[in-house]
Amino acid sequence: MILQKLLSSNLKLHTWLDGIIMGEDLALFAVEHASKLGADYVDVRLEEHYNELITVANGKVQRGIINRKRGIGVRTLVNGAWGFQSTADLTKKGIRQAAEIAFKVAKASSKHVSTPVKLVPTKAHKTSYKTKVKIDLEDLAFEDKLKQIITWERKLHTSKKIVRGLAEYTGIKINKTFANSEGASIGFFNTLTWLSLKADSKKGVMTQFYEKTVGHSGGYEIFKKNDMEKMSSEIGNKAESLLSAKAAKTEKDVTVILDNDYAALLVHEIVGHPSEADRVLGREAAWAGTTWWAGKIGEKIGSEYFTAYDAPTVPSALGYYLYDDEGVKAERKMLVEKGVLKGHMHSRETAAVFGVQPNAGMRAITFEYVPLIRMSNTFFGEGDWKKEEMIEETKHGYLISCMRHPSIDDKRYNWTISAQEAYEIKNGELTTHLRDIALTSIAPKFFKSINAASEKTKILPLPGCGKGDPMQSLYVGNGGPYIRGVATILGVS
Amino acid sequence: MKEAGKTVLDVAEKRRLDEVEAYLVSNRVLTIRLVNNAVFESKGVHDIGAGLRVIKDNMLGFSSTSDLSKKSLEKLVDAAVFASKARKLPFKYSFPKPKKKPTVTGVYDKKLAELPPENAVELAYDMVDASLARSKKIVDNAGVLNVVNYDTLVLNSEGVSAENKGTFFEASLSATAKRGGEVSEGSEATAGRSLKELKTREIGEKVAEMAVSGLKTQKLKENVYTVILDHEPAQEVTSYVSMLVSPMIARLYFPLFLDKLDKKVASAHITLIDDPLMPNGVGSAPIDDEGTPSKKHVIINKGILKTFVYDSFYGATENKKTTGNAVRASFAVGVSSFPGKNYNGEPIPVLRNPFIKPGKWRREEILEDTKQGLLIRRFHYSRLTNPTRGDFTSVLRMGLYAVENGEIAGAIKKSRLLDNLLNMLQNVDAVSDKLVVAGNWGDYAHTPVIRTKAHVAPTD
Repeated sequence: MILQKLLSSNLKLHTWLDGIIMGEDLALFAVEHASKLGADYVDVRLEEHYNELITVANGKVQRGIINRKRGIGVRTLVNGAWGFQSTADLTKKGIRQAAEIAFKVAKASSKHVSTPVKLVPTKAHKTSYKTKVKIDLEDLAFEDKLKQIITWERKLHTSKKIVRGLAEYTGIKINKTFANSEGASIGFFNTLTWLSLKADSKKGVMTQFYEKTVGHSGGYEIFKKNDMEKMSSEIGNKAESLLSAKAAKTEKDVTVILDNDYAALLVHEIVGHPSEADRVLGREAAWAGTTWWAGKIGEKIGSEYFTAYDAPTVPSALGYYLYDDEGVKAERKMLVEKGVLKGHMHSRETAAVFGVQPNAGMRAITFEYVPLIRMSNTFFGEGDWKKEEMIEETKHGYLISCMRHPSIDDKRYNWTISAQEAYEIKNGELTTHLRDIALTSIAPKFFKSINAASEKTKILPLPGCGKGDPMQSLYVGNGGPYIRGVATILGVS
Repeated sequence: MKEAGKTVLDVAEKRRLDEVEAYLVSNRVLTIRLVNNAVFESKGVHDIGAGLRVIKDNMLGFSSTSDLSKKSLEKLVDAAVFASKARKLPFKYSFPKPKKKPTVTGVYDKKLAELPPENAVELAYDMVDASLARSKKIVDNAGVLNVVNYDTLVLNSEGVSAENKGTFFEASLSATAKRGGEVSEGSEATAGRSLKELKTREIGEKVAEMAVSGLKTQKLKENVYTVILDHEPAQEVTSYVSMLVSPMIARLYFPLFLDKLDKKVASAHITLIDDPLMPNGVGSAPIDDEGTPSKKHVIINKGILKTFVYDSFYGATENKKTTGNAVRASFAVGVSSFPGKNYNGEPIPVLRNPFIKPGKWRREEILEDTKQGLLIRRFHYSRLTNPTRGDFTSVLRMGLYAVENGEIAGAIKKSRLLDNLLNMLQNVDAVSDKLVVAGNWGDYAHTPVIRTKAHVAPTD
């Protein structure tokens, strides 16, 4: 039984409020009950969550919250149709009711399903694992964290030109048990920590802002690894420096070098999302949209410098896991290899449609929601350039730094993403500092223009990726090396 | 829930806390999702939980739990006290006092509350069936039906004991039409409080009409156009303004209106009202999420920003009284966008049932009066790209038409609106006379049609 295994390991279990240690029994009870009703397949996620949220703005605490919740989500497949019900009522009666509703709605839906769902068989794993944590979130007093965050927010105010500072901290612990009717039983104890810092600056009528997020799968130790006071000051200084930067002017089809941070949002929007197989199949058409590269597996859609992966197993990246929410073992997925479209992110269901093996693409934000195909850690592949050489080699172009806001069309074809700042490159040197800048292009045109990638990849935390109805805002990792290509500069002031 | 609330108050009294407030929720959401002309999945969630705020020596703490057992609630009080230790408030704060609860009709419907899940599946599929029946050119439909049934209870040590029951549905459909090599989309979304308002066949037919009307498009030239914002895009504009008049959201994220009280933020055609007492209003309820009785407020009067809205906490930060606009939102993971629900967050002040006051024009008259311009029926992927300046963008993916000499002169290819929200509000020169419920993603409002100016460019 998983419970014995968990207890016998050195896994530090989170003891819930009434002393019950989360275990396998309730999960198996749900699986058994739904199976007895006649479901062809059942899986459940039994979870408990602990969240901390602290928001400080201009020296004042806006939010200081501790949340706890637990519950179970029961997913059933009946006559080729999905049903799902979740509940926070963890009595046997509550779980039975949830299983019954999940079964009933699946059965009702099966009358209107056009193509019955089929699942690719997968190994039923029995295991448990946890995120590496050095400082447990609950080992540090809440008020001590609050005091630190107040200090870090204060450091954003580098001068009177900083009119607003904002520090938002999130700490999450999730104790999850997955079980299914095929005999899988997987325990995952995950800890996630991140902090966003933002400084707004003003001079006369001119306003600017600069922001950064620091985070990982792991504990509070991330704020010891980074000099947070120094980082805050740097953010404040950057926000100030943008007040005297020059407004970018529109320039068509120009050489651009994207830093890791900007590349993170770019890969998220025009590689990660269009790689979700449900989107490729048109199942997100009414919500997030479709994909321009549907049906193009095996085709060359970019240059040989364009490679991209999705990898849940990157330790400490925000999208880390070893088994997805269908119990499939995770591995690195090759999405694009040297410009050739190689594969997508799959569920067991979409893998059956494509005739491939499932690759652990399913995650739900909490037990309350169905799992969806999501990015884990999606990033551009490395090249062999040094980033300094990429700049030195550029006669005229722009170094684009740090993501801001995306606005992408529904096929992920036409994209526009703004940046926090940029520098004009003239004869291999960084010159004019620029503000109010966005890049725009068409995805295949940009992919084909990529002509260099640097040696080192950095994966950044992107904590709020939205998908689904009801909406699930999920934490992912994105990044890459420095990338050089051609795009149009938009001056957005 | 009453018992759990009483337990919490008793525990707080024993801990000698100055004040305590418990917000208890039992919320059920059923979602039927449609993809490729079929029911794709049916899913439900039953949220149960309590959010607790405590005040001790003017220190404020918050904690929440989904476990309403006595032992858990005792630990909940401890956790809230623990969280309060570092949050000494620089102003005197107290929870709301009890006041008489007004009556609002048309916000709870027993038939909707007790709708069997199997019937919900049939109703959702009805939208698809109606769309396919409307035109042979319709090849695909996708959409969702969400049915929400909530029951909340606010109890505080000042004597507030206020229950709030409600029902809500959201129905949306998108259709794809094909003719030869041409492809076009249509979309429609609506919401309501009772089963009788759910007209699934009407939704399906409207969507099919919009999709078919978009076949054969022309590319437009980049320019500043007179634009008629139909109900959905007008609702999105209302939704952004709703955020701008929340002192919490304005201070932290969207400061565009922060320095504009008693100043002109829109044309004289715009009067924005928040009325959570409106019978059958999509955002209506007798009380807010702190138990304060709902009130009607004029937010923008003929273009002049008259007031921000407050809950008790943000009111106290400015030495103002609550305006009855406390809404429980949460920034924790796994939150719901539907009404009635989030026990795991402190209240924030936002508009609850906003609408732009209807004008004198019929929708058809606005169209007839427009010599040259665009009719925009849907926004997609809207963003306030610069929340300090008000720069705004949206993808006009479908439902975009040229207007010439008062008539629709053909569909336009996908384009992008790139302008400034403040400019768009100040250029409004016509408002229609009828309010229609419009929106998406759980965010809906009663909205008229408005005409303004905006910069629009093709996307390729």
